Amino acid sequence: MAADDVEMTKEELDDRTMGQLLDIGEEFYRQFERGEIPRLEIPTRSKSNVVFDEDSGVWVYGDKVSSRTANSVGGARKLLRMAYTLEFMRNQIEENRSSTLRELYYLSESWGDAQFTGQGESDRLIEDLEIVGDLRRERLHMRPEEDGATVIGPLYLREQTRRGEREIHCQEDVGEGGYQIPSDVDQVEFLDADAEFVMCVETGGMRDRLVENGFDEEYDCIVVHLKGQPARSTRRLVKRLHDEESLPIVVFTDADPWSYRIFGSVAYGSIKSAHLSKHLATPEAEFVGVQPQDIVDYDLPTDPLSDNDVNALENELEDPRFEDGYWKEQIELQLDIEKKSEQQSLASYGLDFVTDTYLPERLDEMGVA
Amino acid sequence: MYPCVTVSSQEKLTEDQGIEADVAEELAAEQREISVAEFFEKNKQMLGFDSAARAVVTAVKEGVDNSLDAAEEAEILPDIHVEIEDNGDTYTVVIEDNGPGIVKRQIDKIFGKLLYGSRFGKRVQSRGQQGIGISAAVLYSQLTSGKPARITSKTRSGEAHRFDVIIDTDTNEPEIVDEETVDWDRTHGTRIELEMEANMRARQQLHRYIKHTAVVNPHARVHLKEPKGEWSFERATDELPDETEEIKPHPHGVELGNLMRLMAASDSYSVKGFVQNEFTRVGGKTADSIEDGFRDRHLGREPSWNVPSGVEQEIRNAVANKGQQATAEFARLTRENMGGKATYSYVEDAVDDAAERVEEEFDKRFGDKVREDAVEAAWRHVTETRAETVLEHLEAATSDRKDPEALEELSERIAAKFDSDEDPRDRFTLKELRKAVRDSAASVEEVTEESFGDTAVENIVEELWTMMQTVDDDTPNVQDIAGDRNQSRALLEAMRAADVMAPPTDCLAPIGADLLEAGVRKEFDAEFYSAVTRDASVHGGDPFVVEAAIAYGGSLEAESPGDLLRFANRVPLVYQEGACAITQTVKDIGWKNYQLDDEGLPRGPVVLAVHLASTNVPFTSESKDAVANVPEIEKEVERAVRDVARDMKSHIKSAESRRKRREKERVISEVVPQIAEKIGEVTGRGTPPVEGSMAKILNKLYVDTEVDGDEVVLEAANYSNSNKSFELHCFVDSEPTLVDGDDLDVDVVDMDDEFDVVWRAEVSKGEKETLRYMGEEGMVSVDGVEDDLVEVRS
Repeated sequence: MAADDVEMTKEELDDRTMGQLLDIGEEFYRQFERGEIPRLEIPTRSKSNVVFDEDSGVWVYGDKVSSRTANSVGGARKLLRMAYTLEFMRNQIEENRSSTLRELYYLSESWGDAQFTGQGESDRLIEDLEIVGDLRRERLHMRPEEDGATVIGPLYLREQTRRGEREIHCQEDVGEGGYQIPSDVDQVEFLDADAEFVMCVETGGMRDRLVENGFDEEYDCIVVHLKGQPARSTRRLVKRLHDEESLPIVVFTDADPWSYRIFGSVAYGSIKSAHLSKHLATPEAEFVGVQPQDIVDYDLPTDPLSDNDVNALENELEDPRFEDGYWKEQIELQLDIEKKSEQQSLASYGLDFVTDTYLPERLDEMGVA
Repeated sequence: MYPCVTVSSQEKLTEDQGIEADVAEELAAEQREISVAEFFEKNKQMLGFDSAARAVVTAVKEGVDNSLDAAEEAEILPDIHVEIEDNGDTYTVVIEDNGPGIVKRQIDKIFGKLLYGSRFGKRVQSRGQQGIGISAAVLYSQLTSGKPARITSKTRSGEAHRFDVIIDTDTNEPEIVDEETVDWDRTHGTRIELEMEANMRARQQLHRYIKHTAVVNPHARVHLKEPKGEWSFERATDELPDETEEIKPHPHGVELGNLMRLMAASDSYSVKGFVQNEFTRVGGKTADSIEDGFRDRHLGREPSWNVPSGVEQEIRNAVANKGQQATAEFARLTRENMGGKATYSYVEDAVDDAAERVEEEFDKRFGDKVREDAVEAAWRHVTETRAETVLEHLEAATSDRKDPEALEELSERIAAKFDSDEDPRDRFTLKELRKAVRDSAASVEEVTEESFGDTAVENIVEELWTMMQTVDDDTPNVQDIAGDRNQSRALLEAMRAADVMAPPTDCLAPIGADLLEAGVRKEFDAEFYSAVTRDASVHGGDPFVVEAAIAYGGSLEAESPGDLLRFANRVPLVYQEGACAITQTVKDIGWKNYQLDDEGLPRGPVVLAVHLASTNVPFTSESKDAVANVPEIEKEVERAVRDVARDMKSHIKSAESRRKRREKERVISEVVPQIAEKIGEVTGRGTPPVEGSMAKILNKLYVDTEVDGDEVVLEAANYSNSNKSFELHCFVDSEPTLVDGDDLDVDVVDMDDEFDVVWRAEVSKGEKETLRYMGEEGMVSVDGVEDDLVEVRS
């Protein structure tokens, strides 16, 4: 799907989604007709079945398959929920409504035997549908719970809202807070991107610093706030900015192991959403910093590594996402100095240091700006 | 019939379980000097009358045991009534039975001397072995209430009599203080009333005792009436237990004191005759081996030395004045007779034989003196090279790594030990031999580098002992042995060492698995029962049988430790549970493996009963509440309990799997049709059929009827996990015609107004079979498979 999703109209997308849902229902129907045990095979969503696809440079599911079958009491209940959910989705698309995962969970209260026992279960069922139907939850009109992050920078776009189309310039038409990324990014069309590159920033404090210092204007940079581990919509937007506008993507985080994973999920995808990596991951994204090397070079204020930090770093040394010379060197260096620093520690050289000195120097080294 | 076994000394008991008889004799002697009352006071605890609470239980127990024994001996199904009356200050304990009854002259026997039991030492399984005897209860009653025991009895033929009996504490004899003829509505039986100082604090133990008695005597009816109420325990069978037979003691089970007494009382003269006559399982061959064993231990063995060359010359030199020719022939014959190895006895025989032959041939007398000289000369020569013989055996008995010089040294020292002035025949008992070898080895270790460990010494001893020969001297007669503790001990050891067949087990009367189970079944309301009777085994010289029964589930208490019922010779053991080998063995079993929680004893809705039947139940003490730790018995108890526990486990598992299956069926048959319905809505195609899918999910035999024009196809698909054979009936109104049914076992039966297509089918698991006929669709039913394992769709 995917690649052409953005070129299809909403009606076309909905029709296709409806067809995919019906295909699942039809398969169950056939199984009943043949007197077979109803079953559904789904790639196993565990760490052991997530592999790093060298070709596309992203995380994908391996060959292991789990069956949901009606052969057990638990399995039969799962399939009953699946059947109810299929019907619910069909109605939702037909009526052009949308709902959140949490709403779906509460809705099931009226489903009798098909009621979900917890939200974890309904979330997993939506993931099952995403994988089996090769659909994204946005196509099912399921909205994520979390707020989308924000964008500021020279990007002109058109968003299809429930209240009609809106054309927005992400510098001129927005306040300092920036443009809020909608949950279904595929309803956004890029009209113009007069930018040199995209900078994804981990923390709100640093994002505000860049905006206050006018970094986006001075360097023609689209600043995307990741808000920690980025939401799907944020990753999808970054992916589309790269693919459709050919913009280089750089990621700017703290210098600690958890922040490297934020970079990893932007660039290579995550275990939970490996089936969507091809839509969400941008393998070409590059890491700006803060690097362990910077801690040494700039003598930044630091905190000591905790035991958890050390374990996480050691795990990253085994992680195929970080399996290259650069990361090996940086992680080993950090293990050696046993220290970590935050993005905002750069302020120890003054509030302008990050925009006047640090980032220009790093971007120059990387050949981005 | 009414036994009473007593001892006075606990220390003696723990030292040796089997010396009751000795102690009883000693006690009897001692008894003449102290009063019975005094004795009773001293030994209350041992007799089970240490508290007013326990006294009730003990008195009931003695009475009920006697009643059961009496009824069984008369082949009457026991009907026993126990009553406890509260008199305010005292209680009256009543035990009434339907036994044969007793007459006046039996009073003496039954309430006889406290210190004499008729049963001790006998090899027979009886309840009475355990009791102290009803006389102790009578005495307790008399001492605490001052009232006589009141006995009412009626035999089949006679009138009912009432006797008031006291035990004269000076003479230790029962005495009838009052007597009258009474009316009694029983046809026969005995009633004993004992008034005593008591209380009902041991009510729980009393109830346990009565209930357990009912369990273990399913042929008995027991009724209990006490101040708090009445309880009846009905019989579960009309079968009396098998009669038990007394057996003679087994050579492996006899104790020194008993052996000495048996010898003293025996008419046998020889050891061989004695062991054959007085013991079970001893035939001529076994008697020989016991006698030889006794010789070895009492007289010792003689070494068989290599005969060196030159012995002929030595003999010739020792003989004077018999003529050259006769002397040479005598020496040659002796040498020939001796062969390559000889013991002293062998040399003597060789000389005697040669002398007789030469006397005949040469008509010369070779008298005692000549013979003695020849023996001495020959033996002197043979014993000169003892060390060589010993060395040969040392080399055979030790590893190659031993230093040859040390071995040579050792052989010389051992050889020297044989050279004793005390016995020119070189005789050693095994003990003496061991000492000789050990001392020699120790002294060799002092002068050489070599050391001889315990194993090496033992190997050498064994090798030399085998080389030595049992002597054939006459053994002392039985009366002489009986008078000599050491000789008696030697005989006892010989008996224990002899290979003797296990004692016969037909003297035991186990309850039997079926009856034991019935006994548990009638007293405990459970969902599952199992019982086992193990084969007989032997401990010491006593045969025993262990039986176990288990009850599980039902209305048994689930949240408490399981109940353990212990029995010995059909008598419930209610006290000292913790000290009992049965309890300990049950606790050592890992109950988790049997699906129960393990708290030592199993926890859960379970009752375990363990019965030990033996001619001699080993108890930890004379109060006979706990079985002693005897490994053979523990092993059998464990096996019996594990046997029934295994049955229970498979019951729990299959009940569990049935429960799961039912639960699955319930949920699946609710949920799967809903899936189908919803899928019908989603696809807009209506609800798809679910029967086939359901049959597969529920592992059923699924019979489907398809109609194709005039052809009807019956398909039987076996989705279960086992092969199924069944009879399928299809009832049709008009006569059907089979299609290609040649390889199937099918009949069409005309039933007047309809036709029954009978198909006897076998379908392997996971397979399908089809039957086709031309005609109309019929009503299908399946016989031979449980209803809930078949799904028929039409």
